[in-house]
Amino acid sequence: MKDRKVVCRCEDLTEEEIVHAIELGYDDLESLKRFTGATTGPCQGKGCLMHILRILSQKTGKSVDEIGVTTQRQPVNPVPLYILAAKKGDEE
Amino acid sequence: MKVAVIGGGVAGLSAAYFLAKSGVNVKVFEQKYLLYGASGRNSGGLTVQFNSEPLIRLAKRTLELYDSIQSEVGFNFLLRRDGYVKIAGEGEESELKKEVEFQRRNGVNVELMEPEFVRELFPDINTFAFSVASYYADGGVVFPWPVVWGLAKGCRELGVEVYDYTPANVELKGNELVVKANGESYKVDYVINAAGAWSDEISKQVGVELGNKVYREEICVTESLKPYVDPYIMDISTGVYFSQSMRGEIVGGILGSETTTLETKASLDFLTSYAKRITELVPKLRGMAILRQWAGLYDVGRNGIPVIGETKVKGFIQLNGFGRHGMSLALAAGEGVAELITKGKSSIIEPFKP
Repeated sequence: MKDRKVVCRCEDLTEEEIVHAIELGYDDLESLKRFTGATTGPCQGKGCLMHILRILSQKTGKSVDEIGVTTQRQPVNPVPLYILAAKKGDEE
Repeated sequence: MKVAVIGGGVAGLSAAYFLAKSGVNVKVFEQKYLLYGASGRNSGGLTVQFNSEPLIRLAKRTLELYDSIQSEVGFNFLLRRDGYVKIAGEGEESELKKEVEFQRRNGVNVELMEPEFVRELFPDINTFAFSVASYYADGGVVFPWPVVWGLAKGCRELGVEVYDYTPANVELKGNELVVKANGESYKVDYVINAAGAWSDEISKQVGVELGNKVYREEICVTESLKPYVDPYIMDISTGVYFSQSMRGEIVGGILGSETTTLETKASLDFLTSYAKRITELVPKLRGMAILRQWAGLYDVGRNGIPVIGETKVKGFIQLNGFGRHGMSLALAAGEGVAELITKGKSSIIEPFKP
Protein backbone atom coordinates (compact mmCIF):
# COMPACT_ATOMS: atom_id res chain seq x y z
CA MET A 1 0.00 0.00 0.00
CA LYS A 2 2.84 2.40 0.74
CA ASP A 3 3.90 2.10 -2.92
CA ARG A 4 0.54 3.33 -4.11
CA LYS A 5 1.37 6.77 -5.46
CA VAL A 6 -1.82 8.61 -6.28
CA VAL A 7 -1.16 11.16 -9.02
CA CYS A 8 -4.74 12.14 -9.87
CA ARG A 9 -7.05 12.41 -6.89
CA CYS A 10 -10.25 13.22 -8.80
CA GLU A 11 -10.08 10.06 -10.88
CA ASP A 12 -8.19 8.04 -8.28
CA LEU A 13 -5.27 7.20 -10.56
CA THR A 14 -1.91 5.88 -9.42
CA GLU A 15 1.43 6.42 -11.10
CA GLU A 16 1.42 2.73 -11.98
CA GLU A 17 -1.86 3.08 -13.87
CA ILE A 18 -0.52 6.02 -15.87
CA VAL A 19 2.62 4.05 -16.71
CA HIS A 20 0.50 1.08 -17.74
CA ALA A 21 -1.57 3.26 -20.10
CA ILE A 22 1.60 4.67 -21.67
CA GLU A 23 2.87 1.12 -22.18
CA LEU A 24 -0.42 0.20 -23.89
CA GLY A 25 0.40 2.85 -26.49
CA TYR A 26 -1.51 5.86 -25.17
CA ASP A 27 1.78 7.70 -25.16
CA ASP A 28 0.85 11.20 -26.24
CA LEU A 29 -0.73 13.60 -23.76
CA GLU A 30 -4.11 13.90 -25.51
CA SER A 31 -4.60 10.14 -25.74
CA LEU A 32 -3.25 9.50 -22.24
CA LYS A 33 -5.62 12.07 -20.78
CA ARG A 34 -8.64 10.51 -22.43
CA PHE A 35 -7.69 6.90 -21.79
CA THR A 36 -7.02 7.40 -18.09
CA GLY A 37 -9.38 10.32 -17.37
CA ALA A 38 -6.52 12.27 -15.81
CA THR A 39 -7.08 16.07 -16.02
CA THR A 40 -10.79 15.61 -16.77
CA GLY A 41 -12.14 15.43 -13.21
CA PRO A 42 -13.27 18.21 -10.87
CA CYS A 43 -9.77 19.76 -10.67
CA GLN A 44 -9.54 19.89 -14.48
CA GLY A 45 -5.83 19.17 -14.37
CA LYS A 46 -4.85 21.74 -11.80
CA GLY A 47 -3.74 19.03 -9.41
CA CYS A 48 -2.50 16.33 -11.75
CA LEU A 49 -1.27 17.71 -15.05
CA MET A 50 2.28 18.27 -13.78
CA HIS A 51 2.49 14.68 -12.52
CA ILE A 52 1.16 13.36 -15.81
CA LEU A 53 3.70 15.44 -17.75
CA ARG A 54 6.51 14.24 -15.51
CA ILE A 55 5.62 10.57 -15.92
CA LEU A 56 5.09 10.92 -19.66
CA SER A 57 8.43 12.70 -20.01
CA GLN A 58 10.25 10.04 -17.96
CA LYS A 59 8.66 7.17 -19.89
CA THR A 60 9.00 8.54 -23.42
CA GLY A 61 12.20 10.53 -23.06
CA LYS A 62 10.48 13.56 -24.57
CA SER A 63 10.93 16.94 -22.94
CA VAL A 64 7.95 18.59 -21.28
CA ASP A 65 8.07 21.24 -24.03
CA GLU A 66 7.82 18.58 -26.71
CA ILE A 67 4.89 16.95 -24.96
CA GLY A 68 2.99 20.22 -24.64
CA VAL A 69 -0.14 20.76 -22.59
CA THR A 70 -3.78 19.84 -23.17
CA THR A 71 -6.46 22.37 -24.04
CA GLN A 72 -7.67 24.15 -20.93
CA ARG A 73 -11.45 23.68 -21.03
CA GLN A 74 -13.73 26.31 -19.56
CA PRO A 75 -14.82 27.00 -16.89
CA VAL A 76 -11.59 27.32 -14.87
CA ASN A 77 -13.50 26.41 -11.73
CA PRO A 78 -16.82 24.51 -11.68
CA VAL A 79 -19.87 26.81 -12.03
CA PRO A 80 -23.34 25.74 -10.85
CA LEU A 81 -26.12 25.66 -13.45
CA TYR A 82 -28.38 28.04 -11.50
CA ILE A 83 -25.77 30.78 -11.82
CA LEU A 84 -25.40 30.20 -15.54
CA ALA A 85 -29.19 30.10 -15.95
CA ALA A 86 -29.77 33.33 -13.99
CA LYS A 87 -31.25 36.31 -15.78
CA LYS A 88 -29.93 39.80 -15.22
CA GLY A 89 -31.32 41.09 -11.94
CA ASP A 90 -31.99 37.64 -10.45
CA GLU A 91 -31.08 37.43 -6.81
CA GLU A 92 -29.34 34.59 -5.07
CA MET B 1 -5.00 -4.53 -53.02
CA LYS B 2 -3.98 -1.44 -51.07
CA VAL B 3 -6.33 1.00 -49.37
CA ALA B 4 -5.61 4.29 -47.62
CA VAL B 5 -8.17 5.70 -45.20
CA ILE B 6 -8.06 9.42 -44.49
CA GLY B 7 -9.45 10.07 -41.01
CA GLY B 8 -9.17 7.92 -37.87
CA GLY B 9 -12.72 8.38 -36.65
CA VAL B 10 -15.48 5.84 -36.28
CA ALA B 11 -16.27 5.79 -40.02
CA GLY B 12 -12.70 5.40 -41.25
CA LEU B 13 -11.71 2.87 -38.62
CA SER B 14 -14.83 0.82 -39.25
CA ALA B 15 -14.04 0.64 -42.97
CA ALA B 16 -10.43 -0.22 -42.18
CA TYR B 17 -11.49 -2.92 -39.73
CA PHE B 18 -13.83 -4.68 -42.15
CA LEU B 19 -11.36 -4.40 -45.02
CA ALA B 20 -8.61 -5.89 -42.87
CA LYS B 21 -10.92 -8.75 -41.92
CA SER B 22 -11.10 -9.54 -45.63
CA GLY B 23 -7.33 -9.55 -45.82
CA VAL B 24 -6.92 -6.15 -47.49
CA ASN B 25 -3.77 -4.12 -46.84
CA VAL B 26 -4.97 -0.90 -45.14
CA LYS B 27 -3.32 2.22 -43.76
CA VAL B 28 -5.23 4.81 -41.74
CA PHE B 29 -4.02 8.40 -41.60
CA GLU B 30 -5.24 10.66 -38.78
CA GLN B 31 -4.07 14.28 -38.93
CA LYS B 32 -4.15 14.76 -35.14
CA TYR B 33 -4.69 12.32 -32.28
CA LEU B 34 -7.44 9.70 -32.46
CA LEU B 35 -10.59 11.36 -30.99
CA TYR B 36 -9.64 14.83 -32.25
CA GLY B 37 -12.62 14.98 -34.61
CA ALA B 38 -16.32 14.48 -34.08
CA SER B 39 -15.84 10.84 -33.03
CA GLY B 40 -14.10 12.05 -29.91
CA ARG B 41 -16.32 15.02 -29.14
CA ASN B 42 -19.89 13.79 -29.43
CA SER B 43 -22.39 12.75 -26.79
CA GLY B 44 -22.77 9.13 -27.88
CA GLY B 45 -26.51 9.02 -28.53
CA LEU B 46 -27.61 5.89 -30.38
CA THR B 47 -30.90 5.68 -32.21
CA VAL B 48 -32.66 4.55 -35.37
CA GLN B 49 -35.25 7.37 -35.23
CA PHE B 50 -34.50 8.72 -38.70
CA ASN B 51 -36.61 10.16 -41.48
CA SER B 52 -35.64 7.92 -44.35
CA GLU B 53 -35.67 4.19 -44.88
CA PRO B 54 -31.99 3.92 -45.95
CA LEU B 55 -30.88 5.79 -42.82
CA ILE B 56 -33.00 3.53 -40.62
CA ARG B 57 -31.39 0.47 -42.22
CA LEU B 58 -27.90 1.87 -41.69
CA ALA B 59 -28.69 2.68 -38.05
CA LYS B 60 -30.20 -0.73 -37.32
CA ARG B 61 -27.16 -2.46 -38.75
CA THR B 62 -24.84 -0.17 -36.79
CA LEU B 63 -26.55 -1.10 -33.53
CA GLU B 64 -26.02 -4.79 -34.33
CA LEU B 65 -22.37 -4.17 -35.15
CA TYR B 66 -21.64 -2.56 -31.79
CA ASP B 67 -22.43 -5.86 -30.11
CA SER B 68 -20.37 -8.02 -32.44
CA ILE B 69 -17.37 -5.68 -32.73
CA GLN B 70 -16.93 -5.08 -29.03
CA SER B 71 -16.66 -8.79 -28.38
CA GLU B 72 -14.42 -9.37 -31.43
CA VAL B 73 -11.92 -6.71 -30.44
CA GLY B 74 -12.19 -7.33 -26.70
CA PHE B 75 -12.99 -3.76 -25.71
CA ASN B 76 -15.90 -2.57 -23.59
CA PHE B 77 -17.69 0.24 -25.42
CA LEU B 78 -19.70 1.11 -22.29
CA LEU B 79 -22.88 0.85 -24.32
CA ARG B 80 -26.24 1.09 -22.56
CA ARG B 81 -29.54 0.41 -24.27
CA ASP B 82 -31.76 2.29 -21.87
CA GLY B 83 -33.77 4.03 -24.55
CA TYR B 84 -33.57 7.12 -26.74
CA VAL B 85 -36.35 9.62 -26.08
CA LYS B 86 -37.19 12.56 -28.30
CA ILE B 87 -39.42 15.12 -26.63
CA ALA B 88 -41.26 18.06 -28.16
CA GLY B 89 -43.27 21.07 -27.10
CA GLU B 90 -46.61 22.00 -28.66
CA GLY B 91 -45.00 23.74 -31.64
CA GLU B 92 -43.19 20.59 -32.76
CA GLU B 93 -45.80 18.07 -31.67
CA SER B 94 -47.15 17.32 -35.14
CA GLU B 95 -43.64 17.03 -36.56
CA LEU B 96 -42.74 14.40 -33.98
CA LYS B 97 -46.02 12.54 -34.52
CA LYS B 98 -45.42 12.38 -38.27
CA GLU B 99 -41.92 11.13 -37.70
CA VAL B 100 -43.17 8.37 -35.41
CA GLU B 101 -45.80 7.28 -37.95
CA PHE B 102 -43.17 7.14 -40.68
CA GLN B 103 -40.76 5.16 -38.56
CA ARG B 104 -43.43 2.69 -37.46
CA ARG B 105 -44.40 2.11 -41.11
CA ASN B 106 -40.73 1.30 -41.70
CA GLY B 107 -40.55 -1.33 -39.04
CA VAL B 108 -39.07 0.73 -36.22
CA ASN B 109 -40.40 -0.16 -32.82
CA VAL B 110 -40.86 3.47 -31.78
CA GLU B 111 -43.79 4.68 -29.72
CA LEU B 112 -45.53 7.98 -29.14
CA MET B 113 -45.75 8.66 -25.41
CA GLU B 114 -47.22 11.11 -22.93
CA PRO B 115 -44.85 13.16 -20.73
CA GLU B 116 -45.94 11.04 -17.78
CA PHE B 117 -44.31 8.00 -19.40
CA VAL B 118 -40.97 9.83 -19.62
CA ARG B 119 -41.25 10.57 -15.92
CA GLU B 120 -41.48 6.84 -15.26
CA LEU B 121 -38.19 6.42 -17.12
CA PHE B 122 -36.58 9.41 -15.43
CA PRO B 123 -38.43 10.70 -12.35
CA ASP B 124 -36.73 14.13 -12.26
CA ILE B 125 -37.98 15.29 -15.65
CA ASN B 126 -40.36 18.24 -15.58
CA THR B 127 -43.46 17.00 -17.43
CA PHE B 128 -44.67 20.58 -17.95
CA ALA B 129 -41.62 21.38 -20.08
CA PHE B 130 -42.81 19.34 -23.09
CA SER B 131 -46.03 17.86 -24.45
CA VAL B 132 -45.18 14.63 -26.25
CA ALA B 133 -42.38 12.09 -26.57
CA SER B 134 -41.13 9.51 -29.05
CA TYR B 135 -39.59 6.50 -27.33
CA TYR B 136 -37.19 4.04 -28.91
CA ALA B 137 -36.51 1.38 -26.30
CA ASP B 138 -33.49 -0.22 -28.00
CA GLY B 139 -31.60 3.05 -28.39
CA GLY B 140 -29.28 4.45 -25.79
CA VAL B 141 -25.83 5.79 -25.16
CA VAL B 142 -22.35 4.63 -26.06
CA PHE B 143 -19.08 6.12 -24.83
CA PRO B 144 -17.45 7.18 -28.13
CA TRP B 145 -13.84 6.99 -26.89
CA PRO B 146 -13.63 3.24 -26.30
CA VAL B 147 -15.39 2.69 -29.62
CA VAL B 148 -12.51 4.46 -31.37
CA TRP B 149 -9.85 2.78 -29.21
CA GLY B 150 -11.45 -0.62 -29.68
CA LEU B 151 -11.69 -0.24 -33.45
CA ALA B 152 -8.09 0.99 -33.59
CA LYS B 153 -6.99 -2.00 -31.50
CA GLY B 154 -8.95 -4.39 -33.71
CA CYS B 155 -7.44 -2.80 -36.82
CA ARG B 156 -3.89 -3.00 -35.51
CA GLU B 157 -4.30 -6.63 -34.50
CA LEU B 158 -5.34 -7.35 -38.09
CA GLY B 159 -2.20 -5.67 -39.38
CA VAL B 160 -3.60 -2.24 -40.22
CA GLU B 161 -1.18 0.66 -39.76
CA VAL B 162 -3.01 3.40 -37.87
CA TYR B 163 -0.88 6.56 -38.03
CA ASP B 164 -1.85 9.38 -35.67
CA TYR B 165 -0.49 12.93 -35.92
CA THR B 166 -0.02 12.23 -39.62
CA PRO B 167 -1.70 14.63 -42.05
CA ALA B 168 -2.05 13.12 -45.50
CA ASN B 169 -2.55 14.56 -48.96
CA VAL B 170 -4.09 12.71 -51.85
CA GLU B 171 -2.84 13.16 -55.41
CA LEU B 172 -4.16 11.92 -58.68
CA LYS B 173 -1.33 11.06 -61.09
CA GLY B 174 -2.93 10.01 -64.31
CA ASN B 175 -5.23 7.23 -63.16
CA GLU B 176 -3.18 6.51 -60.09
CA LEU B 177 -4.04 7.51 -56.53
CA VAL B 178 -1.07 8.50 -54.42
CA VAL B 179 -1.21 9.37 -50.73
CA LYS B 180 1.56 11.55 -49.37
CA ALA B 181 2.22 11.37 -45.66
CA ASN B 182 5.16 10.82 -43.32
CA GLY B 183 7.36 12.23 -46.08
CA GLU B 184 6.55 9.18 -48.17
CA SER B 185 4.34 8.41 -51.14
CA TYR B 186 1.98 5.47 -51.06
CA LYS B 187 0.46 4.20 -54.29
CA VAL B 188 -2.98 2.79 -53.49
CA ASP B 189 -5.92 1.25 -55.30
CA TYR B 190 -8.49 3.02 -53.15
CA VAL B 191 -8.64 6.11 -50.98
CA ILE B 192 -11.47 6.36 -48.46
CA ASN B 193 -12.25 9.94 -47.54
CA ALA B 194 -13.50 9.66 -43.96
CA ALA B 195 -12.19 13.02 -42.81
CA GLY B 196 -15.41 14.35 -41.30
CA ALA B 197 -15.41 18.14 -41.25
CA TRP B 198 -12.19 18.08 -43.27
CA SER B 199 -13.63 15.90 -46.05
CA ASP B 200 -14.18 18.76 -48.49
CA GLU B 201 -10.51 19.64 -48.31
CA ILE B 202 -9.43 16.06 -49.06
CA SER B 203 -11.96 15.74 -51.85
CA LYS B 204 -10.72 18.90 -53.58
CA GLN B 205 -7.22 17.42 -53.75
CA VAL B 206 -8.40 15.00 -56.44
CA GLY B 207 -10.74 17.50 -58.07
CA VAL B 208 -14.00 16.13 -56.70
CA GLU B 209 -16.51 18.71 -55.48
CA LEU B 210 -18.16 17.37 -52.36
CA GLY B 211 -20.02 20.38 -50.96
CA ASN B 212 -20.63 19.05 -47.45
CA LYS B 213 -21.69 21.64 -44.90
CA VAL B 214 -19.74 21.97 -41.67
CA TYR B 215 -21.53 22.37 -38.36
CA ARG B 216 -20.16 23.33 -34.99
CA GLU B 217 -21.81 21.93 -31.87
CA GLU B 218 -21.09 22.46 -28.18
CA ILE B 219 -21.36 20.11 -25.24
CA CYS B 220 -20.65 20.34 -21.52
CA VAL B 221 -20.52 18.00 -18.55
CA THR B 222 -21.44 18.39 -14.91
CA GLU B 223 -19.69 16.87 -11.94
CA SER B 224 -20.47 13.18 -11.42
CA LEU B 225 -23.59 11.76 -9.81
CA LYS B 226 -24.58 8.21 -9.03
CA PRO B 227 -26.13 6.65 -12.17
CA TYR B 228 -29.73 7.82 -12.31
CA VAL B 229 -30.52 9.08 -15.82
CA ASP B 230 -31.13 5.96 -17.89
CA PRO B 231 -32.23 7.16 -21.36
CA TYR B 232 -30.75 9.66 -23.79
CA ILE B 233 -33.16 12.60 -23.96
CA MET B 234 -33.36 14.91 -26.97
CA ASP B 235 -35.64 17.94 -26.94
CA ILE B 236 -36.41 18.68 -30.59
CA SER B 237 -38.09 22.00 -29.73
CA THR B 238 -34.94 23.63 -28.34
CA GLY B 239 -32.23 21.28 -29.61
CA VAL B 240 -31.10 20.59 -26.05
CA TYR B 241 -30.13 17.02 -25.28
CA PHE B 242 -28.61 15.18 -22.34
CA SER B 243 -27.75 11.80 -20.90
CA GLN B 244 -25.55 10.44 -18.16
CA SER B 245 -22.14 9.01 -18.90
CA MET B 246 -20.84 5.86 -17.24
CA ARG B 247 -18.58 8.15 -15.21
CA GLY B 248 -21.71 9.75 -13.79
CA GLU B 249 -21.45 13.15 -15.46
CA ILE B 250 -24.56 14.66 -17.01
CA VAL B 251 -23.43 15.17 -20.59
CA GLY B 252 -25.50 17.66 -22.53
CA GLY B 253 -25.46 19.99 -25.48
CA ILE B 254 -27.45 21.95 -28.02
CA LEU B 255 -27.82 21.03 -31.70
CA GLY B 256 -25.13 22.74 -33.74
CA SER B 257 -25.31 25.32 -36.48
CA GLU B 258 -23.50 25.80 -39.74
CA THR B 259 -20.07 27.40 -39.64
CA THR B 260 -17.52 28.43 -42.21
CA THR B 261 -14.46 28.25 -39.96
CA LEU B 262 -13.00 25.01 -38.68
CA GLU B 263 -12.71 26.30 -35.12
CA THR B 264 -13.51 24.45 -31.93
CA LYS B 265 -13.65 27.30 -29.44
CA ALA B 266 -16.25 26.88 -26.72
CA SER B 267 -18.59 29.76 -25.83
CA LEU B 268 -20.27 31.20 -22.77
CA ASP B 269 -23.42 31.84 -24.86
CA PHE B 270 -23.84 28.12 -25.28
CA LEU B 271 -23.38 27.49 -21.60
CA THR B 272 -26.03 30.01 -20.51
CA SER B 273 -28.56 28.82 -23.12
CA TYR B 274 -28.00 25.23 -22.12
CA ALA B 275 -28.23 26.05 -18.42
CA LYS B 276 -31.58 27.80 -18.91
CA ARG B 277 -33.19 24.91 -20.75
CA ILE B 278 -31.70 22.02 -18.79
CA THR B 279 -32.84 23.55 -15.50
CA GLU B 280 -36.37 23.84 -16.94
CA LEU B 281 -36.29 20.23 -18.07
CA VAL B 282 -34.66 18.91 -14.90
CA PRO B 283 -35.06 21.51 -12.14
CA LYS B 284 -33.16 19.38 -9.64
CA LEU B 285 -29.95 19.86 -11.61
CA ARG B 286 -29.86 23.57 -10.65
CA GLY B 287 -27.19 23.07 -8.03
CA MET B 288 -24.96 20.87 -10.17
CA ALA B 289 -21.74 22.49 -11.37
CA ILE B 290 -20.47 22.47 -14.94
CA LEU B 291 -16.96 21.03 -14.99
CA ARG B 292 -15.93 21.42 -18.58
CA GLN B 293 -17.24 22.37 -21.99
CA TRP B 294 -15.97 21.89 -25.51
CA ALA B 295 -16.99 22.24 -29.13
CA GLY B 296 -16.75 19.89 -32.08
CA LEU B 297 -17.18 19.94 -35.84
CA TYR B 298 -19.10 17.58 -38.06
CA ASP B 299 -20.04 17.58 -41.72
CA VAL B 300 -23.47 17.16 -43.27
CA GLY B 301 -23.79 15.85 -46.81
CA ARG B 302 -25.04 18.27 -49.45
CA ASN B 303 -28.49 16.66 -49.51
CA GLY B 304 -28.71 16.35 -45.75
CA ILE B 305 -27.70 12.70 -45.82
CA PRO B 306 -24.29 10.98 -45.69
CA VAL B 307 -22.17 10.63 -48.83
CA ILE B 308 -20.95 7.06 -49.24
CA GLY B 309 -19.53 5.45 -52.33
CA GLU B 310 -17.15 5.77 -55.26
CA THR B 311 -16.81 9.10 -57.03
CA LYS B 312 -16.10 9.91 -60.68
CA VAL B 313 -12.42 9.45 -59.78
CA LYS B 314 -11.91 5.71 -59.90
CA GLY B 315 -10.90 4.37 -56.50
CA PHE B 316 -11.71 7.57 -54.60
CA ILE B 317 -14.48 6.75 -52.12
CA GLN B 318 -16.47 9.13 -49.95
CA LEU B 319 -17.42 8.05 -46.44
CA ASN B 320 -18.53 11.26 -44.79
CA GLY B 321 -21.39 13.71 -44.24
CA PHE B 322 -22.89 11.83 -41.30
CA GLY B 323 -23.93 14.99 -39.49
CA ARG B 324 -24.31 14.53 -35.76
CA HIS B 325 -25.26 10.89 -36.19
CA GLY B 326 -21.92 9.28 -36.96
CA MET B 327 -22.11 7.10 -33.87
CA SER B 328 -25.52 5.79 -34.99
CA LEU B 329 -24.64 5.26 -38.66
CA ALA B 330 -20.96 4.99 -39.39
CA LEU B 331 -20.17 1.41 -38.37
CA ALA B 332 -22.56 0.00 -40.95
CA ALA B 333 -21.40 2.55 -43.51
CA GLY B 334 -17.80 1.43 -42.99
CA GLU B 335 -18.83 -2.17 -43.37
CA GLY B 336 -20.67 -1.25 -46.57
CA VAL B 337 -17.65 0.51 -48.04
CA ALA B 338 -15.49 -2.53 -47.27
CA GLU B 339 -18.06 -4.67 -49.08
CA LEU B 340 -18.08 -2.27 -52.03
CA ILE B 341 -14.31 -2.55 -52.33
CA THR B 342 -14.01 -6.30 -51.88
CA LYS B 343 -17.19 -7.40 -53.70
CA GLY B 344 -17.87 -4.51 -56.04
CA LYS B 345 -21.31 -3.79 -54.61
CA SER B 346 -23.08 -3.01 -51.34
CA SER B 347 -26.82 -2.47 -51.22
CA ILE B 348 -26.93 -0.83 -47.79
CA ILE B 349 -24.80 2.13 -48.94
CA GLU B 350 -26.21 2.33 -52.48
CA PRO B 351 -28.76 5.10 -51.63
CA PHE B 352 -25.93 7.35 -50.42
CA LYS B 353 -23.67 7.21 -53.46
CA PRO B 354 -22.06 10.56 -54.38
